Amino acid sequence: MRVAMIGWEYPPFKVGGLGTHCYGLTRSLADKNLKIDFYMPKTKHKLSSGNKNLKIIEVGETEIFPYDRPEDKELAGRFFESVYRYNDLLVQRIKGNYDLIHCHDWLTMKAGIALKEKMGIPLVLTVHSTEYDRSGWIYPNEWFISIEREGMEKADRIIAVSYFTKRVIVEQYGINPDKIFVVHNAVYPIGESEKKKIVLFLGRLTIQKGPEFFLKAAKKVLEHEDTRFVVAGMGDMLPNLITQAIHMGIANKVIFTGKLTEDEVKHIYKISSVYVMPSVSEPFGITALEAISAGTPTIVSKTAGVSEVFKNCLKVDFWDTDEMANKIIALLRYDALRTTMNKQSKNEIELFTWDRVADKTIDVYRGIA
Amino acid sequence: MTSVCFYFEVHQPMRLNRFSVFNIGNNNNSISSYFDHELNKNIFEKVAKKCYIPMTQLLLDLIRKYDAKFKVSFSLTGTFVEYCERYMPSILDIFRDLLKTGAVDLIEETYFHSLSGLYDTLDEFEEQVHMHSQMIKRIFGYKPRVFRNTEAIYDNRIAKKIEELGYRGIITEGTEKILGWRSPNFIYKPVNANIKVLLRHYKLSDDVGFRFSAHGWPGFPLTADKYARWLSSCEGHLINLFMDYETFGEHQWTETGIFDFVKHLPGEVLNHENLDFVTVSEAVERYDPVGEIDVPWAISWADEDRDVSTWLGNDMQITCFNELKDIGQRIKDTGDKDLLYIWRLLSTSDHFYYFSTKGFEDGNVHAYFSPYDVPYEGFINYMNILQDLKQKVL
Repeated sequence: MRVAMIGWEYPPFKVGGLGTHCYGLTRSLADKNLKIDFYMPKTKHKLSSGNKNLKIIEVGETEIFPYDRPEDKELAGRFFESVYRYNDLLVQRIKGNYDLIHCHDWLTMKAGIALKEKMGIPLVLTVHSTEYDRSGWIYPNEWFISIEREGMEKADRIIAVSYFTKRVIVEQYGINPDKIFVVHNAVYPIGESEKKKIVLFLGRLTIQKGPEFFLKAAKKVLEHEDTRFVVAGMGDMLPNLITQAIHMGIANKVIFTGKLTEDEVKHIYKISSVYVMPSVSEPFGITALEAISAGTPTIVSKTAGVSEVFKNCLKVDFWDTDEMANKIIALLRYDALRTTMNKQSKNEIELFTWDRVADKTIDVYRGIA
Repeated sequence: MTSVCFYFEVHQPMRLNRFSVFNIGNNNNSISSYFDHELNKNIFEKVAKKCYIPMTQLLLDLIRKYDAKFKVSFSLTGTFVEYCERYMPSILDIFRDLLKTGAVDLIEETYFHSLSGLYDTLDEFEEQVHMHSQMIKRIFGYKPRVFRNTEAIYDNRIAKKIEELGYRGIITEGTEKILGWRSPNFIYKPVNANIKVLLRHYKLSDDVGFRFSAHGWPGFPLTADKYARWLSSCEGHLINLFMDYETFGEHQWTETGIFDFVKHLPGEVLNHENLDFVTVSEAVERYDPVGEIDVPWAISWADEDRDVSTWLGNDMQITCFNELKDIGQRIKDTGDKDLLYIWRLLSTSDHFYYFSTKGFEDGNVHAYFSPYDVPYEGFINYMNILQDLKQKVL
């Protein structure tokens, strides 16, 4: 089977779960002898797959990240234009004997639809996040929603990264549930090392990821327990968060790292004692699996997609910072809680392989091609 | 003649309140805030309506109908009796009526359905057995002669202690671990004590307790005449059918036909000339041991493992168990009766069961009985309460 897959980012050029997913999925599909041509925007890095079944093909140029908001000052003018240009280039460039097109999220949907019509082959769409998630359900942007809806309607099959996301697709976009298949994400295990007394937040500093709730919980923890908090990542909320930490009087206990390299990310996962993912809206949350695979007990938002499938973690409502603080303190104080969670989650995390994701994706392909 | 010995365990734990780390040392009001009285009352009333009232009344009717030839035995925990006294004393009246028929026996256990049988010394265990004995005397004017420890937890040390305390028999699980090729359908004696051991026939017991409504099970649907035929074809002196009382109407709902099954069972069993019913006291009087059992490491009737890993299987459980056990002497030294009572309520096995992390199959059963979403929540809550209690006796 030959697949033209259209993505937006690919490690080491990536900012989110979409890139991680495309990397794991394409490698595992290629290992299973599917021929994958992976199309993505041109990057400064030189990308090659090292697998004869997988070709990485860079198209045009761009400077847009899939999670950027059009409100961003620097991008405002060029935002829509570059998305359209990338999609147009894809439509011109992609030719040949493909059995299907597989695209990821709204940035690639226009091209996916056009290619489906031009080549007369089926379209599969993976939804990693929707506009509702990215906006934190506050004033979602109609322009994105209409692109997303069109792609979802035209796609022959939709892969959602959680039941949570499937529900959003059905309820908010009015899509037939019968063509939506849930395939939960996976992780390449990071491995453990010695822990320091650090409570970690790692993710884009946007409303979706709930970093302000992390700081509120930190304040409550620090009234009872001495520890360091690390906020890793970039995003439009960074200046506000720094101000918030100063006003709370906890600035000396909270470290803002800014953007980290892949190696630095692995390192911070490994040395942290607790990972917190307080997302307001989280279709899946691969970072939770990454932290757990680094031996770091994890607290996640109850509504996060990962909560549906991963048992050996602690769950909180993102707004319930009292309970979040209670659980952070329990993890710091009670050794037995950490050791038991770590031991139990080791067995469970082994089930979350990209090999399994590829198998389930192939099942979806087989249904239409 | 083969005797059929039915015995029911009747227990409700005192479930805990949500107690966060911020409550530790901040808990000026009474220690009864450790317990979720609202939840406990609701669960008790629900189970009373579905099981305790209808089932106990049904058994009373059946014993009368069959002229006390149908017999059963019970073990009522101290916490269960407290619930009855607090919320529904009429349930105890039905049990009193049952006892008056002469076809019913009561069994001793620890008042708190606790893990005290696993402490370093058995003093506290002995005190809790004594409390239970006093309670049974006060409520029913009765003196049990057979003992069963929490969840049938048993080892040589416990058997020896029960002999010392003057009981005639003790109940545990008929597991291959201690029997090897031998049958559970006989009386045995502990290798180190002169009392009689009754062994649960786990297959036939679980056919009712776990599998009664399981559609995939070859025995489904289980009818009274079919079950009586299975009993009749058993070899041995006695068949011990021990199960949770809540099986009837709570684990197996009315809609499964469980009450119809019970209603027809005595008649079907008594139709077989080779079968009769006995209470546990009658069983130990009537039959002699055919062999010895040697149990150096504790067994139980729980989960697939039939050991104590259900309560002490992970670091969280072991930590809580040790911390609880280790503050016992300090609690007693304060002479504060309320503190002691709370400390003992925390020894109830159910709390530890809630934070078991055992495998998928067993884990599902655990989840059904647990008030917590995940075991870790149960641990955090229990541990926070324990820290608060510790601070009171520092």
